Amino acid sequence: MNFKIPNFVKTNQFGLLCLVIIFICIFSFSTDGFTSRFNIYALSRVVALDIMIGLAMMVVILTGGLNLSLGALGVSAAMFGGWCMESMGIPISISIILVLAFGSFLGWINGFVTVRTGVHSFIVTLATMSIYFGFMTLLTEAEAFRKLPEIFTDFGSLKLFNKYISPLLIISVLTCFILYYVFKYTDIGRKLIAAGANPDAAELSGISVDRMFIYCHMLSGFLAALAGIMLTARIGAAIPSMAGHLGFDWLLPAFLAPVLGGTLLSGGKVTVFGTMLGAILVTLINNGLYLIDVGEFWVRFFLGMILLGAVLLDRAREYLTVKNSIVS
Amino acid sequence: MSNLLKKDWFGLGLVIILGSILISFFKPAFISPFNLYVLMLSVSLMLVVAMSQMIIIAIGQMNLSVGAIGGLVAISFTGLMEVYSMSILPAMLIGLLIGLTCGFINGYITVKTGISAFIITLATLYIFKGMNLGITEAQPFYEIPDAVKFFGNAKILGPIPYLVIIPIIITILMWILMNRTSLGRYMLAYGNNVQSSELIGISSTKIVIYAHVISGLLAAIGGMLVVCRLQLGTPNIGDSWLLPSFAAPVIGGAILAGGKVDVIATAFGVILVSIISQALVIFKIDPFFVQIFLGFMILLAVFINRYREYREERRTKVFSYE
Repeated sequence: MNFKIPNFVKTNQFGLLCLVIIFICIFSFSTDGFTSRFNIYALSRVVALDIMIGLAMMVVILTGGLNLSLGALGVSAAMFGGWCMESMGIPISISIILVLAFGSFLGWINGFVTVRTGVHSFIVTLATMSIYFGFMTLLTEAEAFRKLPEIFTDFGSLKLFNKYISPLLIISVLTCFILYYVFKYTDIGRKLIAAGANPDAAELSGISVDRMFIYCHMLSGFLAALAGIMLTARIGAAIPSMAGHLGFDWLLPAFLAPVLGGTLLSGGKVTVFGTMLGAILVTLINNGLYLIDVGEFWVRFFLGMILLGAVLLDRAREYLTVKNSIVS
Repeated sequence: MSNLLKKDWFGLGLVIILGSILISFFKPAFISPFNLYVLMLSVSLMLVVAMSQMIIIAIGQMNLSVGAIGGLVAISFTGLMEVYSMSILPAMLIGLLIGLTCGFINGYITVKTGISAFIITLATLYIFKGMNLGITEAQPFYEIPDAVKFFGNAKILGPIPYLVIIPIIITILMWILMNRTSLGRYMLAYGNNVQSSELIGISSTKIVIYAHVISGLLAAIGGMLVVCRLQLGTPNIGDSWLLPSFAAPVIGGAILAGGKVDVIATAFGVILVSIISQALVIFKIDPFFVQIFLGFMILLAVFINRYREYREERRTKVFSYE
């Protein structure tokens, strides 16, 4: 028998899509309330944030680096936004622009230090994580901003499409499409990927790799700040502890989504929709684990196991495709 | 003398001595016996944690799960004593065994799959921490034998606590391992260049697993020492280890790409970080500043290392032209 498997089936995204569908089936049969309007709405709000966090990490992984300061950066930006809106009374739209600029600036610091010292971004962002979070706690005195403009907080609890979907999800999906377009069709996007894939070759062909890496970190800061704003809108307040101590609560979804989505940790490859599917899978599993009642304390354990399983599976897939290509 | 100047630990030692003199000049309370006692306690705990991370840095990897292993061992150690009323020695041995197993899992998966240790240990961080929370349901164990409490809080002589004994022994053993044994040299060779170390016949599997097992054991010892100190086993032991565990080796001049670590300089890094944290407390500076300061210290160390490398490069270049 001679039949050819279409290329799409071999990709990571296809496997992920299957997994997402399987999990949806399992959870909707085994638990009540998984498909309820309330749960789907709640899921859409969570997934929106996970996608954004995953994308923010993805653009730094593109450079072969990491951004540990993601959570601290996002929360710092969100607190800055809370301060702009509540204490300074700056209009919402201008505040949001300021927050995004602020996030990009913090990302620029990460990128600048990484490029200039030539040290791995892990250690740089480990340091800036504690610096950003420390300054944020110091300046806000660990107080939350709870009197945000109503239009802003109402947006976070808005329900669209017959009350099934949160507008936050639309922002995230839109961001996915924009990023996809940028990486696929624009000059700058191709340069970013080239710089990540092979810095030496990119440098020789006239791309300023240092500048590209700084852009990636700025983009990461921008997306993290956007995630921070979205979280603020969702909660209805800007709270210093909303991403856990040092922003660590964001770290697992941030790595899970791109890694599940097939982004190479060595850099040079991005999968925007893979990251999106990865984030959806993580949220589904998280939500499902709560619904089938494994006990709140074991959720972390299972998430860790899933991350481990995912990277091992990915390894196996890579191994098999290499073997297949050698045989043929 | 010029050889001495080149050592990583020499500059750090100088900074520590001058800094201590300066601080005690402004605040004599700094050299009060009680303060020295507290200082030594914090140094001895962080020393073990820093060594646990340092050995992984030596082979060019990182171990995010150090704190999670420490926490899991800490609650197992106390849990065995409280719930199963085990005596101290078997509980301790089981604790060490858990640390060893956790380290082995990290090392085995990393080396067999070739996936970056960062991702593997991130996953195991959540697994170990999840087990910790699943077992304890976030409740601490309070029933600790008196001998353990005594060990954690009694003093040998003057301000010197019993707790420093084990970390000092560990530091000496680590120095011997890294400088006087072939295993330690192989680890550095592996960290420096994986391919060439394999070509000269060093087994990657063995090196990576050994390094992770030692790291797991040290994290386990760290967790149990914290139990002695706190006199209870809380599930959040180890949560705050990540930053200091990297700070000390990096301040001590370790290169994260692997192949270069200095045990004495790492120990001095721990002392420096502890002195600064302590000084900030004595000068009544907001505790959140300690965190910011630690972050800046890492960046500063990174810049200094980079500068020294740069100078080294320039010197060798000039030399080769001659």
